[in-house]
Parts: sequence; structure tokens; C-alpha cells
Amino acid sequence: MTVQENLQNIQADHVLDTKGLSCPMPLLKVKKTLKTMKKGQVLEVHGTDPGSKNDIPNYCEKHGYQFLGYEDHPENYTRYFIQIE
Amino acid sequence: MIPEGVDTQAECAAASKQDKDMTEHTSFIKGEIEKAHRTVFLTPWPAWVSGVFLAFLALLIFMWWHTWGIAGGFANWGDWFFYRLGLYESAPQRGVLLNGMSVSNIGLLVGAFASALMSRQFAVHRAPRWEYGKGLVGGGLMGVGAAIAAGCNVGGFYSALGMLDLGGAMMMLGLFAGAYLGLRYLLWEMENVGQNGQGATGPGGKSSKDWSGLAPYVGVLVFILMLVAFQVYNWLGQTQMGGLLFFGFLIGLVMHRGRFCFANAFREPFMTGDSTMMRGVIVSLMIYALGVAAMKWAYIQPPGAGVYHPFWMGSLIGGVIFGFGMLLAGGCASGSLWRAGEGHLKLWLALGGFFLTNSPTGRLLDQSGAREILGGGVFIPDIVTWQGGLTLFYLLCAGIMLLLVWNEQTEKFTAF
Repeated sequence: MTVQENLQNIQADHVLDTKGLSCPMPLLKVKKTLKTMKKGQVLEVHGTDPGSKNDIPNYCEKHGYQFLGYEDHPENYTRYFIQIE
Repeated sequence: MIPEGVDTQAECAAASKQDKDMTEHTSFIKGEIEKAHRTVFLTPWPAWVSGVFLAFLALLIFMWWHTWGIAGGFANWGDWFFYRLGLYESAPQRGVLLNGMSVSNIGLLVGAFASALMSRQFAVHRAPRWEYGKGLVGGGLMGVGAAIAAGCNVGGFYSALGMLDLGGAMMMLGLFAGAYLGLRYLLWEMENVGQNGQGATGPGGKSSKDWSGLAPYVGVLVFILMLVAFQVYNWLGQTQMGGLLFFGFLIGLVMHRGRFCFANAFREPFMTGDSTMMRGVIVSLMIYALGVAAMKWAYIQPPGAGVYHPFWMGSLIGGVIFGFGMLLAGGCASGSLWRAGEGHLKLWLALGGFFLTNSPTGRLLDQSGAREILGGGVFIPDIVTWQGGLTLFYLLCAGIMLLLVWNEQTEKFTAF
């Protein structure tokens, strides 16, 4: 089973759209949204900034959020999945 | 006599073995190239690795020409723009392709473009209208700040501090303050400006997917064109400019691969507490200053080289304005250049804003005599000798590192 199939089964509790925004707006919004969510919930982020592929996993690792992975969507954006531990 | 058949058979066997060897060699080389490509272009570089290479390249520029900077190149573009419009009476001294900083800026942008192609990350990234506005205004503020501080994040801070000019330290304080204020503004904007305005629904990036397999080859082609350009400069008797173009190109590549970003460095300690990028900047400075000290102490370059930053008022005020601007734009002078090379249209507008304000603000300061009030260059070894100056510099670096790591653990300075 690939990681992508794995991600496709995830039901996100909240979807955050940051398409078209560039550094630092996507991460700023992710940080704000994560703060409003409950334990066990999953946040799905849509973004187009290449920097987010480093920023979001790094941020999660350092702040105790579970980064579930990302996948590139055919419509030219990337989906990121984060779970609150 | 040996029958012919045997001979042919042996020859055949030898030939087929040679063929096999050839394919093995070819596939070995192909495999190694793919591996190298993956290591250099598909795996992101840690910030400090970019920092080490950056220091090395900045030192090469210092040996080859003089202090590396960026804003001076933008000033040149602005001077030409306003001269062509008929607003300035005299033409700039040097053309866009013969002004050192302008040439290394062009190299940096093209280097980032080539690097983005090699990494298959190049795409035309469009942004919502609101973000374009922020790019233009942020770039404009950076232009004003860089004019007041006699340099941007590179010339006014990185190179100035590397040259052991006290103004660089003052601009660092200003940049921290400006980045903090800029972050407060972004937080306010996030809460108060309507969602439709700031464009969570904005257009996404146009992908390069359909030709992403080809992109690395185009990247190699750009690199070859760069070598040709160097040779053309050489023929024209402008070898120094050709070298600056090439060093700029390498800086663009190094910065893009590590996503080396001074806006990130000054912002993250307040935003997430993360100090990875700032520590990369400090590591870079520690090497840069050591190399500069060696060259100046040995009189390879004059001790006063690159020491002209307006300590303290100009560097501080300029730093605050510049810091605020780079948060709005989402990139500093160097960051805007390499992101523009990666295809972000917002950062192209930031570059536009930068040169439109930098040139007239600089002129205004020169003509009004305000430069006198803003301050002048202070060479640290002149006050406390070389030994004292270097000791103080490394203590400052160690102190900032400690403060950054402490903040990372306690998040004392994070804004929200």
C-alpha cells in the first residue's frame, strides 16, 4: 500500500485553503487553525507554495503535532494532513 | 594456421563483451548522475549548508571585486528607469549590464531559475490581488529602508557585519524590530481583513507538470548559457563583471536549494520560535567575517572596504522599515530575487516596488544632506583592535545563538 492511498482514506475535520498564498501566510494560518482544533482531529491544508513542503512538517515535528503526510493533487496544489495528538 | 571461424568467434565474443562493458559503464554513469541530481537538487539543503556556501561565495566576490550587496543594483535599475522617463537629468554612470551589483543580481535571479528547473520546482505562481498589493508595498518599504541604511539585508546587514562594520549590528537590531512589527501586522490582517480580500480562494500556481521531465535539461542549458555569457564578458574586456554574473548565479542556486531566507530568519523566532534559518545566517557570518578579517588584515583588501554604513541612526531606522517591508513582501532583497526566479509573481512586484522607491529615496537623502545626521561607518577593529574586534564579534554570535535556542525552548518572544 502506498502512502497516497493511505492519505486518501483520511477524513479531515477541517480544510484550510492557502492556495496562491506564499511564505509566511500558509504556516501562519496553519498555526492559527491548529490552535482552535481538538485532540485527535485532522486538519487538511491545501497550498501551492513550494516552501510549505519543508515548513509544515518541520513545524509539526517541533510543536508536537502528528504530520501524516502530503500528496500532490493533479490540479496543481498540494494537500497536507496534520493530526492533533 | 588457425581456422578463420575460431578467430571470428573470439572476436565476436570480445566485441560483445566490450559492448556489455560499454552499456555497464553508461548505466553506471547514468545512475551516478541521477544520484548526484537527487542529492543536490531533489533533497532540500539544511539552512546552514547554504549558509556555508554563501559565506564562501561572498568571500570570493570580496576578493574578486569588492563587498557583495544587492540594493545598489536595484538603485541602478531605478536610476535608469527614472532617467528614461526624463525625471533624472543625468544618466547613471554604468549600464545595467556593467554595474557590479546589478550584474550579480541578474546572476542570482537566473541561478535560482536554473536551480528551480533542476529541482522541478519552477512554476508560474500567481497570487490573489491583495497579495500582489502587499508585494508592491513591501518592496517599496524595503527600497526606502535600504536607502536609509545604505544597504539591504545583504549590503546593510550581512556584508556590513561581515566587514566588521558596526552599522551591520545596528541594522540587525532594526531588522528584528521590523520583522516583529511586520508579523504583528500580518496577524492583525489575518483577523481583520475579509477572507475574500486576502484570497484563500485565490488562483493557484500554474504547474510545470506537463514538461517537468524536461525541466532539468533546460536548467543545464541555462547553466551553459551562463558560461557563454562569462566568456562574452571576457572577450569584451569585462572579466570582472562576467565573474560577478557567475558568482551571483551560484548564490542564486545555493539560496534556492536551502530556501535561504533572511525574512524567515528574522521572523520565525517571533512566529514559531524556530531559529534554524537564523542560526544558518549566523554560521554563515562567522565564516564570512573570518575570511574578511584574513583578507583585510593581510591587506589583500583595504581595511576600510565596505565600511560606510550609517551607524547608528540610519542602520537602525532603515532596518526597522526594511524588516517590516520584507514581512509584507514575504522575502528580503535576496529572497525576493530567488523567489522571483522560482516563478512567484508577487515577488516580481516586490522587486518593482524596491527599485521604484530605492533610487529616489537615496537621491533625496544625498541632496538634502540628511546622510550627515543618519551616521557614518564605524570599523570595529579601529576602536578595539583586530583581536578585540574579532573576540567581540564571536561573542556576539555566540550570545545570539544562545538567545535563539533559549527562545526556541521557552517561546518567550513568540508573538502568538
